Amino acid sequence: MKMTAKQSMSGVVLPRTSTAYQEEVSAQAVAAPQGYWRAALPRYGVSVLLEKRAVAVNIGLSAALMAACVLYLSLGSVTLSPNAVVASLIGQGDSMTAFMVQQLRLPRLIAACFTGAAFALAGVLMQTLARNRLATPGIIGIDNGATAFAVASIVGVGVGIAPPAMALAGATTAAVLTFGLAAGSGTQGYRFIVAGIGVGAVFGAVTQLMLARVAIDTANAAYPWTVGSLNARPASAVQLLGIGLALGLVAALALARSLTLLRFKDATASGLGTSVKARRLQVLLLSVVLTALAVAVAGPVGLVALIGPEIARSLSSARHVPILAATLAGALVMVLADLAGRTLFAPIEIPVGIVTAVVGGPWLLWILMRPQRSRP
Amino acid sequence: MRHTLLQRGLLGMLMGGLLVGTAQARTLETAYGNVEVVDHPERVVTLYEGALDAALAAGVTPVGAVTTRGGDNVAEYVTDYLSAKELEHPEIVGVVREINIEAVLAQQPDLILAAAQLPEEQYQLLSQIAPTVVPHTQPLAADNWEAEARLFGQALNREEAIEEAISAVDQRVDAMAEAVAKAEVGENAYLVRWMPGGPMVMSENLIATGLLERVGLDVQGGELIGERGVHSDVLSLENLSQVDGDWLFLATLNDDGQAALDSAKQSPAFNRLNVVQNERVVPVNGQLWSSANGPLAAQAILDDIENALLP
Amino acid sequence: MLLTKAGSSARWRCSSRHWMLILLTALVAVSVVSLLIGAGSVGPRQVLGLLSGSDHAEARFIVWELRAPRTLIGIAVGVALGVAGALLQAVSRNPLAEPGLLGVSAGAAFAVSLALVLGASAATLRIPVAQLGALIGCVCVLSVARLRGVGSDPVRLVLAGAAFSGLLGSLSALMLLYDQRAADEIRFWVVGSLAGRRLDDLWAVLPSLLVAGAGVVLFARPLAALSLGERAASGLGHRPGLIRWLAVGCVALLVGAATAIAGPIAFVGLVVPFVARAIAGPDIRRTLWFCLPIGPLIVLTADIISRVVVAPSELPLGVLTALCGAPVLIAVVRAKRLPML
Repeated sequence: MKMTAKQSMSGVVLPRTSTAYQEEVSAQAVAAPQGYWRAALPRYGVSVLLEKRAVAVNIGLSAALMAACVLYLSLGSVTLSPNAVVASLIGQGDSMTAFMVQQLRLPRLIAACFTGAAFALAGVLMQTLARNRLATPGIIGIDNGATAFAVASIVGVGVGIAPPAMALAGATTAAVLTFGLAAGSGTQGYRFIVAGIGVGAVFGAVTQLMLARVAIDTANAAYPWTVGSLNARPASAVQLLGIGLALGLVAALALARSLTLLRFKDATASGLGTSVKARRLQVLLLSVVLTALAVAVAGPVGLVALIGPEIARSLSSARHVPILAATLAGALVMVLADLAGRTLFAPIEIPVGIVTAVVGGPWLLWILMRPQRSRP
Repeated sequence: MRHTLLQRGLLGMLMGGLLVGTAQARTLETAYGNVEVVDHPERVVTLYEGALDAALAAGVTPVGAVTTRGGDNVAEYVTDYLSAKELEHPEIVGVVREINIEAVLAQQPDLILAAAQLPEEQYQLLSQIAPTVVPHTQPLAADNWEAEARLFGQALNREEAIEEAISAVDQRVDAMAEAVAKAEVGENAYLVRWMPGGPMVMSENLIATGLLERVGLDVQGGELIGERGVHSDVLSLENLSQVDGDWLFLATLNDDGQAALDSAKQSPAFNRLNVVQNERVVPVNGQLWSSANGPLAAQAILDDIENALLP
Repeated sequence: MLLTKAGSSARWRCSSRHWMLILLTALVAVSVVSLLIGAGSVGPRQVLGLLSGSDHAEARFIVWELRAPRTLIGIAVGVALGVAGALLQAVSRNPLAEPGLLGVSAGAAFAVSLALVLGASAATLRIPVAQLGALIGCVCVLSVARLRGVGSDPVRLVLAGAAFSGLLGSLSALMLLYDQRAADEIRFWVVGSLAGRRLDDLWAVLPSLLVAGAGVVLFARPLAALSLGERAASGLGHRPGLIRWLAVGCVALLVGAATAIAGPIAFVGLVVPFVARAIAGPDIRRTLWFCLPIGPLIVLTADIISRVVVAPSELPLGVLTALCGAPVLIAVVRAKRLPML
């Protein structure tokens, strides 16, 4: 009873606001609304409204990311000055430094940026979709599927495909299973999530079983895939992720308006002209593909998908879904986390998945303990 | 600090290049194809317990090594050996699970010895730092360590020293086999690791079980393991009588063997085994017995066997 | 339906009694099977031979020293997990609340890893440490459950639990990176099993089981009142906050005891109340009664299967329950609508 009353109320109210909004836009076609910049290309008749705060946040995050990258390339077993880093990047300096920067640190830095960005982008998409800031691809079992398949490849169950390819296959399998199991249960996102948790639990149990049945040496070889690591990752998987990330980011930005509307109730969103079902499917697919590609590189580093968007949301205004900011923040978190893992306990490296968990853990608890303030 | 390291690196690379250029480079056949190694490697990094063991046996002290499984340092029998011979302890360059490639690079090695399980991505990077020798993966067999040690000996240009170490093991085994036959201490044995739910039977293809066989104890349990690897699943307590032989070697997870034995003895199913009643259960260090590899490890295992069978 | 029709409550009670009879018979049957069948060579014939006076020492030992304690422990674990699940679901008014899903088991597993890393051996300190861990896990769950809005959103609680479990899992992984001995031991503990558990373990947790049981008996009535809503409960003279704390305390005791003995056993706390509610209807008191036979029934059945499928070894029980329980979880959410408890 209560629900229907609410819905009918919003049905009455919202068209009115939306027409008001349109009038406002046509009346102020020249001047940008407060808090926005208007970037126009008059010759082509195109103009875009840029939210000032969003622009500032994105520039700030990019700068922070650049700084983190320089730090990442400088610090390690041998500390280099930023000048030496730049010199070795453009092919000057001695061969040892060049090797360390170009062959060891740079590929790893790229992998960190790409995976962090992809996880966070996938996270912000799924959180918006589920209207829940805890709903990340890792929590709904995609990571577990990838881990189970990669571990199976290492412990020698099934075919001899390399772990990254198997991780990709596992993530896809988990997502397809979840889709299949949640299909026909209506458009409510939470069924998808719970089905995903169930699928994830099964894959998790299978992983545990496999690890318990093999020798400790083999379990060790599988270890990076159970926690997530960026140590010596395959270049082909990173390239694939790079392409996927670029396409995914473009697609996500194209979906930005619909995403903003998906945060509201279904009735509201469709009232504002979004075909909710189709959009939801697109967003979900995008999120799953990004996660699968990233997991194939780094293994399950799930908490980045939680931390990145959270940072972006706390910096941005609540008006839009901070897609770009979340992507940048994800890359930043990943780079810093891997830097910490590489340097803090040298010569022993801590896998990046563990660092993000240790840092993200208190953050997560804080989100849980805090009364729900606003929706993502 | 930074400059000296870099300078040393530059110098090392130059000298390495000179050596390769002037002296005759030797070519080894490894799992990743033919690898050229320098004539007299000076700075060796070992990324595998068997390689560390073989290098020490050949008289080369590595400058870098990975920790053993189970601790933050190399295996105990190795530290004992190093301290006894007053050799310098190698720098740690990571754990088996995560090799710190930068730390390897910082050691400026001219030879890297790695395990057969080294992933290809890591090999690609390591082989650019120094020639990296990776043995062929072989099906688990008790004498794998000999072939691996010979390969590592070749890489170090110390074939004779390795042959000597291996034949020393052979001679000791033969002597012990005679003594064991004379002492009539029994015929068969099992090597198990104790879990709260029951025992895991270790493969007869480990170096330790191979040595037990060679000194005259028939090691059982292969049918429980099948083709899968180094140990069985946790055996049901109901089937504990299947590991009731003349001797039971109980591999522990830590160095406190007595504690492991006590914990096993809390189980009534364990206590009623004949081998327990006859007090022929021997707690042994699992680090050494189930994961170490190489001539020195063989000697250390033989020490344990001698203490148990020929007190 | 039946409950709403006035005249039919007698019929309902009758059929309810039938159900209870059927379940108890099934439980006795499964317990007997549990004594008869195992991974070893001693089969039903040898065991039955014992009854007719045969003197088969091996069979006597295996039945009395291994299978009988294991059956008893299975019953205790089943009761504990089933009742804990029903309580947690009633308190959080959430049909998806399950101790394993909500991170209580993860808390226990984390505590055990910590103890192992600090040097305890798996055999000695397991019981108290796991109970403490479960308690902490429960407190975390409670802090989440107390938040506004959680009660009306079943999924939020489950998500929180999943995130919490993931966090604890990573922290355990961090510790195990440094300590391979513990890593080696813990990977056998986290799969959950009844193999090799001794009666001493059961005696060690019995006090907490009894305290929890007494608690459940005492506040079953207020708990039922709580399901009418907070105001109704207060109106009937109960204190909702206090009841909730007590119930969660009982859940911690029960799950801690079960996890301490058997390791994390997933989904039993979800499946048992689910089946019990299907039989008993929405009344929490009736549901709790039905959990008593259903919990052991499910745990023992799973345990018997785990013994025979890979003989002479055994499959870990926790894996088996996860494989069977996840479909139930999905079935619950696929149901037309989530029943609001």
